[in-house]
Amino acid sequence: MKAENINPFLEAVSETFENMLGCSVITGEPSVDNETDTQNTPDIIGLIGLSGTAQGIVAIRFPVRTALRVVGTMIGVDFKAVDSSIIDGVGELVNIIAGSAKTKLEGHKIALSLPSVVRGSLYRLNNLNNAVWLSLPFVCDMGEFSLMISFKPTVVPKKEAVNACANSR
Amino acid sequence: MRVLIVDDSQIMRKILTGALKKVGMNEIVEATNGQEAVEMVHGDDSIGLVLMDWNMPTMTGLEAVKKIRENGCKTPIVMVTTEGEKEKVLEAIKSGANDYMVKPFSPKDIQSKLEKHLVPADG
Repeated sequence: MKAENINPFLEAVSETFENMLGCSVITGEPSVDNETDTQNTPDIIGLIGLSGTAQGIVAIRFPVRTALRVVGTMIGVDFKAVDSSIIDGVGELVNIIAGSAKTKLEGHKIALSLPSVVRGSLYRLNNLNNAVWLSLPFVCDMGEFSLMISFKPTVVPKKEAVNACANSR
Repeated sequence: MRVLIVDDSQIMRKILTGALKKVGMNEIVEATNGQEAVEMVHGDDSIGLVLMDWNMPTMTGLEAVKKIRENGCKTPIVMVTTEGEKEKVLEAIKSGANDYMVKPFSPKDIQSKLEKHLVPADG
């Protein structure tokens, strides 16, 4: 996955947390794999599909304790356990982050699916069409979380198409 | 005057409700999709402002804006959405939306939009 396609997602996470939660995030070391690591912690994952000039999935993964604090901060409520608000909040966060990133992806026209949310302790996210997962870990005052991106361009973005045309002369 | 919040996300409805209460607006009604919004706004003069999400099940916010305007309603509509591309903004405005706010927004962003549109007509 090219840096020009990664940076919009990093910026989107940073802006979302700063604007909606008043908190800055620290980005860890990215990793790439064909499937996500098997997790053994209670997590909540928000997923949203991408279609258009690129296909893929954006997933935000929160340990439960982080999800409770993040969603609680969004609406000023002290959550002690996962309920429908937490599930809804995680879905809305992935929607906002993917929406913000797609606006920043130069040369692409991308549509988003409606978000889905899954919960569990032992799971693995696989991907289709030989696409890989880019995993971006983050830490903020409310705990750790990660953004996972599967991003496969289906057409050459306009900017690259222009360069390719210029180079072929 | 009442404000109608249209969003399928209960969290986003709560965030917007909190922002409205901070600027002294306590008369708030909610819809979870565009279809509900069209039905609620139709013939109801007490709704003075609509905050409309774009991507929702059953009927999108854009479709709802078009329907509301087709029905002759002139209530101000502010799109509150992740759809931030310039062409989307233009499409919404062309379809009848009065203003636009892109998620993620800060408390300051939403407060300034609300203050702009909640000014009484004779104020």
